[in-house]
Amino acid sequence: MSSAEKYDAAFIETFLLEPKDLAALKYQEVESWDSVGHMALIAALEEAFAIELDIDDIIEFSSYEAGKAILSKYDVKIEPV
Amino acid sequence: MKPLPDLPLTIRVGGPLGTLDRRPLKPYAEPVLAFLAALSKALLSQAEVREHPDVATFAFWCRAANLARLSAEFDRRHARLGRGLVLHIAPSNVPVNFAYSFAFGLLAGNANLVRIPEGFVQVEIICDAIAALFDRPEHARVASMNRLVRYPRDDAITAALSAECQGRMIWGGDATVAHLKRLPAHPRCVDVAFADRYSLCLLGAEAVLATDDKALAELVRGFFNDSYLFDQNGCSSPHLVLWRGSDASVAAAQQRFWPALERVVQAAYPLADARTVDKFTHLCRTASEVAEVRSATRHGNLIYRIALTALPADIAAHRGQFGTFFEHAAEDLEGLAAIVTERYQTLTCFGVDRQEVVDFIVDRGLPGIDRVVPVGKALDMGVVWDGYMLVEELSRIVHSA
Repeated sequence: MSSAEKYDAAFIETFLLEPKDLAALKYQEVESWDSVGHMALIAALEEAFAIELDIDDIIEFSSYEAGKAILSKYDVKIEPV
Repeated sequence: MKPLPDLPLTIRVGGPLGTLDRRPLKPYAEPVLAFLAALSKALLSQAEVREHPDVATFAFWCRAANLARLSAEFDRRHARLGRGLVLHIAPSNVPVNFAYSFAFGLLAGNANLVRIPEGFVQVEIICDAIAALFDRPEHARVASMNRLVRYPRDDAITAALSAECQGRMIWGGDATVAHLKRLPAHPRCVDVAFADRYSLCLLGAEAVLATDDKALAELVRGFFNDSYLFDQNGCSSPHLVLWRGSDASVAAAQQRFWPALERVVQAAYPLADARTVDKFTHLCRTASEVAEVRSATRHGNLIYRIALTALPADIAAHRGQFGTFFEHAAEDLEGLAAIVTERYQTLTCFGVDRQEVVDFIVDRGLPGIDRVVPVGKALDMGVVWDGYMLVEELSRIVHSA
């Protein structure tokens, strides 16, 4: 799986969404991405990419788009599929 | 090693007591990390856990990446091993603490007997998840070392277990601690006791005034979680709010902070009528008992604020209930030095340099305050708690000169 596919899979499996819903996705804007969903998402991403996110990055991970920039700090490059 | 005696307790998770394997592991051992990471995953993937943020927070804490970080930070200058068997007397008022206590014992490399509380769905969710993992062959070693049990308060049972233990984690306040410490324990037993504690909050007035709406919402949500989640009963929940700043800026900051908190409480905290009566009675009693009370401000029945003319030295003897807070304003930290006793545990802060506060505590040799954390983090458990490094406390050093 490419990084982009892994990234999308973490959102899709955690929040039970369709791929088309991802691009505009923001924290607290769908029911499943609440504070508990956020923890599940972060755990899924950390596992998928074998990384440990800093607490500040966990807090700032506020949208599907913003997350890509945050992961780039951990040498995870999300190229378009 | 002799098997444990057969005792009349109910095993909630794990095999019979007599089959418990007490051979220790080293701290942060691979089988333990694998087990806790699997527990984290199992809990975070359950739909039911969505309704229980405390369970989710525990699961998030014991995820693989966080354990890897804790393990990397662990001091390995000395070889270490678990002490042996640790008995955990979990608190009966906070559902999830038993799971953290258990995890600390595991991470230190011990076999564990955990007396779990009754009557919480959160406890059952976590126990069911642990039981399911114990059935899997890859977790056989961890399963063989651990039992989650229930028994009524019974000194004979606790004494019989204490005689076999090399460590006891005693939660539940002064009376429980004093009572259990009187029971004879194994001569090598280390007691880590969590007594009654008192906590407070320090807010920088200028910083509160400088918040935008989003930052203010986050701040009051954090304060709400610290205070209201356990009806202000958590040992880290604040009862006193100290404002730092000039009188004018404090007055303005209060006008910004409390109405924002009121909106959160309104939306998220159902206060039963009987509790409202208790809360109001408590307010009246406090007003008559504490000479320094200047006035009380009520935001409906959701928030009671008690303004003080001066900080009474025994302010820690006066706790809030269901969202009742004492308030006092000062330009500096000197007031802290006058009131802090060994009972003080957590100071939550906003808009204050936490390192400055830590330095003040250390330089002035204050007898209390073990934690200085941001508002919203009061209830976050961790391997450093109540002034103890728990994995270190619960493991022994194998020293080589």
